[in-house]
Amino acid sequence: MNIQTEQFVEVARREMADLTSRAFLQLLPPVIAAMRKAGMATFPDPDAANEYSRAIRAEVVARLPELLEEFEANATARGATVIWARDAKEANDFILNLALERGIKYVTKGKSMVSEELGTNDVLIRNGIEAFETDLGEFIAQQLHRPPFHIVGPAVNVSVQEVCDLFMEKAGMEEPTTDPVELGYAARLYLRDKFHHLEMGITGVNMAVAETGSIINVENEGNIRLTKSSPRIQVSVMSIEKVVPNMEDAMHVLRLLCRNCTGQSISSYVSIDTGPKKDDEIDGPEELYIVIVDNGRSDLYGDVKAREALRCIRCGACLNHCPVYATIGGYPYGWAYSGPMGQVLNPLLLGLERTQDLYRACTLCGACKEVCPSGIDHPSMFLYYRSKDVKGDGELKGKKRDWKEVSIFKLFTLASTLPWFWNMGIRLLRPLYNRNAENGVVTHMSGPFEGWFRTRNLPAIPSKTFHERWKNIREKRSS
Amino acid sequence: MVRNAREEILGKLRAAPKREVSVRPEMSPLNEVALDREQMIAKFTETLFLQTGIVHRVKDNHEALDKLKEIAEAEGLKRVVVSTDDVIAPLDLPSWGEQNGVHVSRARDFKDRNEFKDEVFARVEAGITGADFAVAESGTLGLIHDADQARLISLAPILHIALVPVERFVPVYESAINKIFENGDTLPSQFTFITGPSMTADIQATPFRGMHGPRRIIVILIG
Ligand code: SF4
Repeated sequence: MNIQTEQFVEVARREMADLTSRAFLQLLPPVIAAMRKAGMATFPDPDAANEYSRAIRAEVVARLPELLEEFEANATARGATVIWARDAKEANDFILNLALERGIKYVTKGKSMVSEELGTNDVLIRNGIEAFETDLGEFIAQQLHRPPFHIVGPAVNVSVQEVCDLFMEKAGMEEPTTDPVELGYAARLYLRDKFHHLEMGITGVNMAVAETGSIINVENEGNIRLTKSSPRIQVSVMSIEKVVPNMEDAMHVLRLLCRNCTGQSISSYVSIDTGPKKDDEIDGPEELYIVIVDNGRSDLYGDVKAREALRCIRCGACLNHCPVYATIGGYPYGWAYSGPMGQVLNPLLLGLERTQDLYRACTLCGACKEVCPSGIDHPSMFLYYRSKDVKGDGELKGKKRDWKEVSIFKLFTLASTLPWFWNMGIRLLRPLYNRNAENGVVTHMSGPFEGWFRTRNLPAIPSKTFHERWKNIREKRSS
Repeated sequence: MVRNAREEILGKLRAAPKREVSVRPEMSPLNEVALDREQMIAKFTETLFLQTGIVHRVKDNHEALDKLKEIAEAEGLKRVVVSTDDVIAPLDLPSWGEQNGVHVSRARDFKDRNEFKDEVFARVEAGITGADFAVAESGTLGLIHDADQARLISLAPILHIALVPVERFVPVYESAINKIFENGDTLPSQFTFITGPSMTADIQATPFRGMHGPRRIIVILIG
């Protein structure tokens, strides 16, 4: 997937002018948010349930290395093959080589955000192996070469006409139709044939259970179950933070994940694999490979603040509560992860430099933090990224500001901590600054502060400042 | 490879500053834990109904066969695939099929995976399975997959009919999970929770059932 995080502002402008996107953004997030609320109300104490899953996710991050080792040992003992990959290339190379070795012509993919992150499809396709996304929304987004619009409905905004044209051209649909149900059925028929003759399937992992070595997938469509049941070879790709301590924790996180994601109390299917199929079973994988992908995460694990991002379970609740997302939709975030989740993750995985707008496009209202079942404090993460960025940070690839900006703020810091310096500064700057004043208010300014004044006003500096008047009053009194 | 990826990743994680693991907060048990069996059945039926699942209840295996016949007639079923788990096997569905003009196949009737797949993907009109658990919490079935419970039977056909003895009702997921995972030596290669039919709302947020798996699910409770 192309990384387009640097075009944030441009894409956001375009999306704000797009009527279909706007219509969906006005509809979808509030509806899912309301469903989430109703779902949470089924807990005897919703807040306690939320706190409990936050504690699980905090524990996962704190105990990450030992949990991963425990998971690996148990998964291996059950007959799975665990592969570690430092980065996208290592993970993709493994998958590609396996497919080539086994003479695989095509693979189906169950919705997997980490494989989006890795760009696995592109690598396979470039090497002559077809890769079909099989989640309906992903399938449409893939064929149209678009990033996901929403985590739950990656192509929910695409018009029926566009879907119809696409399916006529690429999915062997014979009669044109604009009925969403018939379109869905056409996709079923097309992909069904792929599932039927499938030899190798690739899925993501929602949770990996350390205690048992099991992997868990959560889905509604059945495409992941098919991808795991039909072929002889199953490859499940997980990033390191997917691990949870035990099954009971997994069940609790499952409840929160489903309620936060779609408002359901549970998704249609939850499948738990522990090792490959047994010899006497007729379906299921003979070979099960679990690829554990790092892709930069172990580096940021050294930063105790940044590592908190690894708590995220990709539920998408934060998207549905974010006023910025509700205005611009998923495209501007420019990569696999969108909304507040993307604003937290993309800068860490891609570096602060090329994701400048992501952690700044935030009012710090905290709505995301309030709902997050993983206990991520998004606003404080954004402030952290902003400070790391301006100071310049090797680990997180902060941009560091040029000497002009740095000196201006150094001067400002100095002035605001030394009263005499501040007063002198005001006196010196007053004529220059007040040149732009109209009716006692400064509404614009050229030069480095132009952007700041675009959406803000400041009063003009009065001919006598408070300090000057105070001095006068005191002098008068004492005389 | 310069250095083993595993060692490198784990090494970095281990070298990072340690943080205390905080104590888990209090959490009260779910409401469902207090339900008796009839209440569980009521909750299950109600919740599954919201997912368009239909629930029938019969007294015994004999009535279950009658109910199946009724469903087969109503749906016009001519060819089905069935599991051979401990709910289904005693029903002797192949003979039931012969009497009622329904072709019944089982996983063991097929030479290999490919032949079995041809049947479940392309020929049958329904899959009939037992279930190991019925979870009241969310109208959910739990299926342990093994040689007698092939994965594709409850998944590939457009209609899924599941039979569950009422003794198999449990209040919450944990009750099922704890039973399955208590013995580390006999873990099933796959365990599945099924709640309603396969569905999506990916085109224009319009709900569509039967996306890749069954469009409908019918549950017959026995007892
Ligand atoms: S950051 Fe967002 S997607 Fe991730 S767990 Fe929190 S609410 Fe869910």
